Amino acid sequence: MERQKGIVEIVAEKVWKFFSSVKLAVILLIILAIVSVIGTVIQQNESPEKYLREYSETTVQLFEMLGFFDMYHTWWFVILLFLLTANLTVCTLDRFPHTLKIMTAPLKPIDDDGLKVLPLKKEITVKGGMEKAEEQVLLVFKKHRYRPLETRSAGLFQLAAQKGVYSRLGVYVTHVSIILIFVGALTGAFFGFKAFLNLPEGQASSVVYLRNEPMWDQVMAALGIAKSPVIYSNEGGVPAMPLGYYVQCNNFDVDYYQGAQGPTGMPSEYHSTLSVYTMDKEKVFDKRIRVNDPLTYRGVTFYQSSYGPIDRPGTVFLNIRPKNSSAAGETVAIEAGKAVYVPSIKRTIKALSFAPFGMRNPTTGEVQFYRSNNEEYINPTVELEILNNNRTVYKTYVMKMDKGAPYMPEDYLISYVHYFGTRYTGLQVTKDPGVWVVYTGFIMLCIGPLIAFFGSHRKLWVRVQERKGQAVVTIAGSANRNRLGFERVFNQIVEEISK
Amino acid sequence: MESSLLFNIATLAYLVAMVLYISFLAFRKEGIGLTATVVTAAGFIVQTIALFGRWWESYQMGADIGRVPLSNLYESLVFFTWSTVMIYLIVEYKYKARAFGAFVMPVAFLALAFINVAGISSDITPLVPALKSNWLFYHVLISFLGYAAFGVAFAISMVYLLMNTDDRGKSMNLFSGIGALFLLAVAGYFLTSLSPQWKTAFWLGLGVLVLAWFIYLIVNGANNRPQVFLFWAGCVTLAVVLLLAMGVDFVYLITFKNMASGESFKKHLFEGTFVSHSLPVVVLSWVFTAGLFWFIWSQGMKLKSLLQSYMPGLDLLDDVTYRMIAIGWPLLTGGIITGAVWANSAWGTYWSWDPKETWSLITWFVYAIYLHARYVRGWKGTQMAVISAVGFLAVIFTYLGVNLVLSGLHSYGGLAE
Repeated sequence: MERQKGIVEIVAEKVWKFFSSVKLAVILLIILAIVSVIGTVIQQNESPEKYLREYSETTVQLFEMLGFFDMYHTWWFVILLFLLTANLTVCTLDRFPHTLKIMTAPLKPIDDDGLKVLPLKKEITVKGGMEKAEEQVLLVFKKHRYRPLETRSAGLFQLAAQKGVYSRLGVYVTHVSIILIFVGALTGAFFGFKAFLNLPEGQASSVVYLRNEPMWDQVMAALGIAKSPVIYSNEGGVPAMPLGYYVQCNNFDVDYYQGAQGPTGMPSEYHSTLSVYTMDKEKVFDKRIRVNDPLTYRGVTFYQSSYGPIDRPGTVFLNIRPKNSSAAGETVAIEAGKAVYVPSIKRTIKALSFAPFGMRNPTTGEVQFYRSNNEEYINPTVELEILNNNRTVYKTYVMKMDKGAPYMPEDYLISYVHYFGTRYTGLQVTKDPGVWVVYTGFIMLCIGPLIAFFGSHRKLWVRVQERKGQAVVTIAGSANRNRLGFERVFNQIVEEISK
Repeated sequence: MESSLLFNIATLAYLVAMVLYISFLAFRKEGIGLTATVVTAAGFIVQTIALFGRWWESYQMGADIGRVPLSNLYESLVFFTWSTVMIYLIVEYKYKARAFGAFVMPVAFLALAFINVAGISSDITPLVPALKSNWLFYHVLISFLGYAAFGVAFAISMVYLLMNTDDRGKSMNLFSGIGALFLLAVAGYFLTSLSPQWKTAFWLGLGVLVLAWFIYLIVNGANNRPQVFLFWAGCVTLAVVLLLAMGVDFVYLITFKNMASGESFKKHLFEGTFVSHSLPVVVLSWVFTAGLFWFIWSQGMKLKSLLQSYMPGLDLLDDVTYRMIAIGWPLLTGGIITGAVWANSAWGTYWSWDPKETWSLITWFVYAIYLHARYVRGWKGTQMAVISAVGFLAVIFTYLGVNLVLSGLHSYGGLAE
């Protein structure tokens, strides 16, 4: 008696069948391709004011309801992605056992029925009898790197061989890679965060300000299982995530491309020197970060992202060394407008003024000042006054990039190092524990299609029979991909055997 | 700069080769065909030298400026034509089918012509800090090799669609097509003038309509050949009109607006034709478009009979298209991945759903549909050629449309840049 299927079983079977169809995959791909367009036509994640300027109030409300302003994170879009992943997973699980069976199936010599269904076969007569024919066939197999399975019975010699069995895995490598990317992205959303930190030169922080909170912490806090580590300020400010260590900005600077006349206004590099300190203020390490080269510590990565001015008096750092010497010299810090006595040269140096963009004419030695957009430090220039017991000895300019020689009458050289403390570095901070899963998926996604498209599982069979004193050789083959290419090889093999 | 001169020689060679390939079809002389191949190969060699020359020149300008010539619109377009021609030469050699040249060389030549008519600057400019990454180099290299493979697939699909049409259908087809075009154009001008909201609505609506048509063609194209032929004529018209319109823009802006060549023409796109301030010019542009559409539609069958004796069988065309996509899709995948890795190293986000990324993913979906339809559902022929054509339209949109159309759609889009 057949067992009655329970309702759960029936539903489960239906669901499985639904998700194991390739039709569903194609339909989902079409839907995803179409709805993805919406978010490229409507700008995403802009401020409400901007949207109201562009659309009417009802439209804004409608779009808001449909989630069109942050479309790729709406529940319905995520569900579409989820369905695609579920579809892929079920398809993989559904088909893989069958593939595995094909892959591990032992090679067998072919029988007449098997021969009948193969489209690619050829019968030839080889001169010189059975032994000669057998020898020839084995030789050709060896030449084409097929390792044949031999079977022999009275008047019948059979060979079977296959190549590229593993190419059948290509499609699974590809599909699993996409599942991995999805899992990695979810891991990032659950356990990672995106944050920012605007760090003035010379300052340190042990928290970063969140753009989005890790979902895991939110869920745990909502369920009352664990308290979220996030610190909420009472004034409704941006929530902060404690790092468990300090990050300090030692300096920030912009380098500019140098033209024939001096620096052009085009930035060539933004960089900050950051230090990591433990909570007990012990230094762990320094790193100079720039765009495309971030700092990572304990799973959190700091990217150079922006910068800006802060309203504070600056400090100029100068280097002083004796003339005609290769010594590194000493570094002196002078607050803007103030003076400092330097014992090694027995002089007092006063920082008179600062300009963001000064340049020296290399022939006349004259210093000219230019306007720079947004007060950017294109070529910072400081005017110095050198005093001896409150009496001015001389005045001079030092600058970051000097095309000429600064006026230095005495037996030491002063050079510009850095103008410190008037800017902050804007850091993008992320923690994404899922990124390695995603990258593993990326690597597999690069390899999988290559195996799937360019590999093929090829099988080759040969039967050598004695008929009327002559050796009759039957050759047959099959390939699951690139049949045209296999046909060429097959014809070549036939020709070589008949020789 | 010597490399610019060499690039111009290569452009000229491709133009000559294009004319030669087309005359080869018309006059059926083997000699012309052979000359076309030789000219193409010579142009390719010159362009290869020019590419390395530009690389070297960038280092001559300063050690910090030197870089692989793959980092701006100009360089990427040049590289696209270079790879298209390279893939074409391989296909010609392998399949011994010279007639493809008449379709592939226009793609290469149009891309180079686009550089000139769109006024894209060929200056070697220093890179902004975010672009200083090896990932960028791999990203552009891989992406454009992929685009080139898709370009060749597109050209062959277009041949397929033409050769597969037995009957262009009733003239009613064409007239309803032209009617729809005019209706959409009038609606477009009216709605976009109302408010930004209606402008967005119009573009969304247009997108939905076009997509619906594509899906219809993919699902039912095999049963409605005349409709597919209309699509074919539409694709050819679109390519010619876009290029001509940009050519007119170029002349108009340089002569009447005194804009310097190399200045960004993006904000003034189609001001000489479709979005001109003068109504007669706008009407004339549309009438010309309709006329061209009619011409291409009515001459298609003649072209087909001309090609008949030169073209390999339909099955081979289908197979070559598939092979090109089987090469292009892994490359596109690699391009998207290297782009994501680069974004992660620069900004800490490997995917941010910006329009460019999203459109590359849409393109990826379209070709994924192609591959699944072929492998698993066993589709062949017309439908496959339509998907391949739609895929390449998505490629073009990813590459140019996102910058030209989408950023112009938002009143605040221009300010943010």
